[in-house]
Amino acid sequence: MAFNFNWSPLIADTSRARDMLTTALNKSPKPPIIVDDILVTELNLGSVPPELEILEIGDLAEDRFRGIFKMSYTGDAFLTLKTRVQANPLNTYLSTKPSFASPQPLAASSGLTIPLQITLSDIRLSGFVILVFSRQKGLTLVFRNDPLESLKVSSTFDSIPFVRDYLQKEIEGQLRVLFMEDLPAILHRLSLRLWSPDYRELDNSNGLQEGNKDGTIPIDPLSSPPQNPVDGFGNPITDSETSAFFLDDPTQTHASFSQKNLVRLAALAESHRTLSLFTPGIREAVFRAWAGTTESREHSGTATPALTLSSLSRAHSSLGLSTLPSTYSASDSAETGPSSSSRPPLSSFSSAIGHGLTLGANRSRAHAQRKRKRRVVNLRKDRNEDDISDTASTTTGASTPAPSVIVSEPLPEREEDLVTPPRSPAKNVRFSARRPSGEYAADSPARSPRARPASADYPAQENTKLSLPPQKHLSPDAKPVHDAAPSNIGRSRPPLRLHHPTPSTSAIPLLRTLSAEKLPFTAHSQQGDLFSPSASSSSGGILEQAWMMKMANEIARKVQDEKRRQSSDSAGLWEMPPPAYSSV
Amino acid sequence: MLGFMDYVQKAFLEASNWNQDNSYSTLTATAQALLDFETPRGLRLNVSSLASPKFASSYTIGTVGLVDGSLSYLYSSLPLEARFKSSEIDLHHVIQGYRQLQDLRQPDQSWWWEVWHKGKRVDRRDALLYGRLFLPQSTLEALYLRRLSPSRQLKVSAVSDARLPNGGTILTLLQNDFGKYSTEYLYSTDSALLGVRGLYNFGPDPRTATSQDVQAEPVYGRFSAGAELYYGLLNKSGGMSTGIRFTTLPQHTGFPYTMTLTLNPLMGNLSSTYAVKAGQNLALCSRFDFNFYSYESDLQLGCELWRRRGPDAEVEWASKMLRPDWERPAVRPDGDVAGVLKARVDQNWRAGVLWEGRIRELLFTLGTSFDLKRRDHIFRAVGVELQYST
Repeated sequence: MAFNFNWSPLIADTSRARDMLTTALNKSPKPPIIVDDILVTELNLGSVPPELEILEIGDLAEDRFRGIFKMSYTGDAFLTLKTRVQANPLNTYLSTKPSFASPQPLAASSGLTIPLQITLSDIRLSGFVILVFSRQKGLTLVFRNDPLESLKVSSTFDSIPFVRDYLQKEIEGQLRVLFMEDLPAILHRLSLRLWSPDYRELDNSNGLQEGNKDGTIPIDPLSSPPQNPVDGFGNPITDSETSAFFLDDPTQTHASFSQKNLVRLAALAESHRTLSLFTPGIREAVFRAWAGTTESREHSGTATPALTLSSLSRAHSSLGLSTLPSTYSASDSAETGPSSSSRPPLSSFSSAIGHGLTLGANRSRAHAQRKRKRRVVNLRKDRNEDDISDTASTTTGASTPAPSVIVSEPLPEREEDLVTPPRSPAKNVRFSARRPSGEYAADSPARSPRARPASADYPAQENTKLSLPPQKHLSPDAKPVHDAAPSNIGRSRPPLRLHHPTPSTSAIPLLRTLSAEKLPFTAHSQQGDLFSPSASSSSGGILEQAWMMKMANEIARKVQDEKRRQSSDSAGLWEMPPPAYSSV
Repeated sequence: MLGFMDYVQKAFLEASNWNQDNSYSTLTATAQALLDFETPRGLRLNVSSLASPKFASSYTIGTVGLVDGSLSYLYSSLPLEARFKSSEIDLHHVIQGYRQLQDLRQPDQSWWWEVWHKGKRVDRRDALLYGRLFLPQSTLEALYLRRLSPSRQLKVSAVSDARLPNGGTILTLLQNDFGKYSTEYLYSTDSALLGVRGLYNFGPDPRTATSQDVQAEPVYGRFSAGAELYYGLLNKSGGMSTGIRFTTLPQHTGFPYTMTLTLNPLMGNLSSTYAVKAGQNLALCSRFDFNFYSYESDLQLGCELWRRRGPDAEVEWASKMLRPDWERPAVRPDGDVAGVLKARVDQNWRAGVLWEGRIRELLFTLGTSFDLKRRDHIFRAVGVELQYST
């Protein structure tokens, strides 16, 4: 899978961005040293795009998207502001003090306002971006932390240290507010105007030109189509392929539907209409009606700890949307995930885990009714991806029966990540709350016409079987894909093994890790459905190809893990929290 | 209009023979009273009392959208004898307008204050304690004022507020008034601000002048010059200004006027005011600001108009019968003043109007400020303040 992040159209026209910035900067109460409106006169986003590292893709569909990115920016963007400032330090000092204990100077505090031109350059941003998009609820972009690392403020007062320091401090503060509060609000408003039909009716005149408007936001790669899409290796991607990446292009949504899935969908709708007994099995789909109950229950379990998070609660308040929590809950659970997963004792786990355990108690009933599968896309950008991705691509390439798989599009897996695999379990915890809206219906009769056929999630299973080294076949009847996963999980989390005393029987799918462990009722019964050879659709669109690549990389990673485990018992490494979340 | 507690403090200064006007900080007091008066916002009620000559309390409740209020208490070691009932207060004392400076007075000799009893000094320095608690903001203002010597006064004022950095601020002000000149030293805990102010009066020295000199050559005006200097130790920034003033004294035969010129050389700000008391009921003032670094200028005009109470219709026929040389007892302590109307306007057509006076037992302040340029939103603030004191 690849996201084409097109930076060049963002640089072209920044007039709307200037207006928005001007509004945003003047909205909050200004420090007393600034005595006039702040006017953005020049905005250049620079030629260096920000680096976006995909940490997680939690939800991926035609009309919605949820992911966490790690963004770092060290580009050459600059911004020029014009305003008027109070040059008398005594004036600004006294204006914030109570008059009762003020020295009340006669004329020493008389003001001198000076037009000021401030240039912000050398902007260093680094932060985690949570991007949630749904066609109904618009785009929500939240910075998990304060993204502003450093900033150079050069002004006409550089020779006066007091004023310079003051300006630097104040502007940094204003920018932090802008990033944390104003930017999500602006984005959400714009996206609602773009995609929500209600808002579109309200604001019909703006129409789709505002799509380019979104380009001003640095992290909105899905809002505008790329000009010259290339994949990770620089090979051009055809239009039909790129269309799969764009969640917002209604004219090309069908391009990524495979013919087979369309036929199945049609058959499903037909059966629904005619009460036919035959319903085609659409893999990895689940009724939303069924999933809704567990979804709401899990939301109630996981939503409460998320309220303590400043960034999200701030986003709640700033956006002021009562409908947001449903979209946020994914990232909410993401907040609680890493901290809990990194702790060894099971008792300290949060309510999500406890909930999962209670579900596991009545698992016999549960997996008769609901089949749930968690799918997590772990995409990590790697800087030294050559060796791993090469192995992955060669193995899959040799064994893949589907020629449509682009082996040259590796799923990045960092070398270090092999050493610190707790990240991926941590991620699975995150989306355990959201996932129940399920991707597959397994063999149960899928009657819901809303089941999405678009994401045929595990087309790569057949391939992965072939790609595994032969020494992995510890048990002949277990899928070779699966024997690596339980061992991995059992090793990384000994307490959880209690629920899986026999890893070989519970052939856990490769991608299911901690979350699946926490909800064990899903773990057992679905394997046959998941990997039944009857459900074979390897053609698929880009998403399926991406999944294949994902699987291939996962397998490669597991192999590496297995090797590493055999070579050294480095269990201590697994107990360490992932460095990116250690501060949570 | 001065609040009740401000009036009590002013009465304390007068009772302790402290000349408030002989200070650089009050160099432009006339212009400030005529141009920078505050217009009230919302409704505010003030009930105060001087329970004893040494103790006063005041309660304020106001509403500007939300209800707030304050309680304040004051203790003075010096018995205060002035009239504090709102029905008896002289309006000239509580309404600040054109300030007519009086002749400089020779400071008391320190031995005048000595009180000996059985071979021991028993006199105490006069002091004033004042506290005010604002609710619901929980802001506390405190003031300690002490006359250290006939020519020296210490004033410590503090504000405690959780929203302020370091939870509050304290200002210490040491004032010296030697008649001919006065100096002030101040220190503020906020950014460790140090300050010096000084004022020098040209002309005869009141300390050496004898009564014969005054009789021989009456002084019609006074020329004063002063300067102030501040430096913040923590933020390493400072400020300064210099100023001169010429004002007429009561001996002046023409209409009284006051001219000031202040200059802030660091910031390039030049400000000149001219105030004239054009008649018994009218004072006019103008101020022109100019900054010779930024070429910004500002002009403000203001006036105050005292309204005299007309002759009482019921007794008018009787007063007409009085012979001109008969003594006419004043009905009220402030003569027949009914109120004062203040108005100001600046070059941006921002204006303010204030009407202060007395209705029966109540002192009232009715004011508004408006912006004539903004037609849609002319009135910026409207307010009424009512004061009742016993």
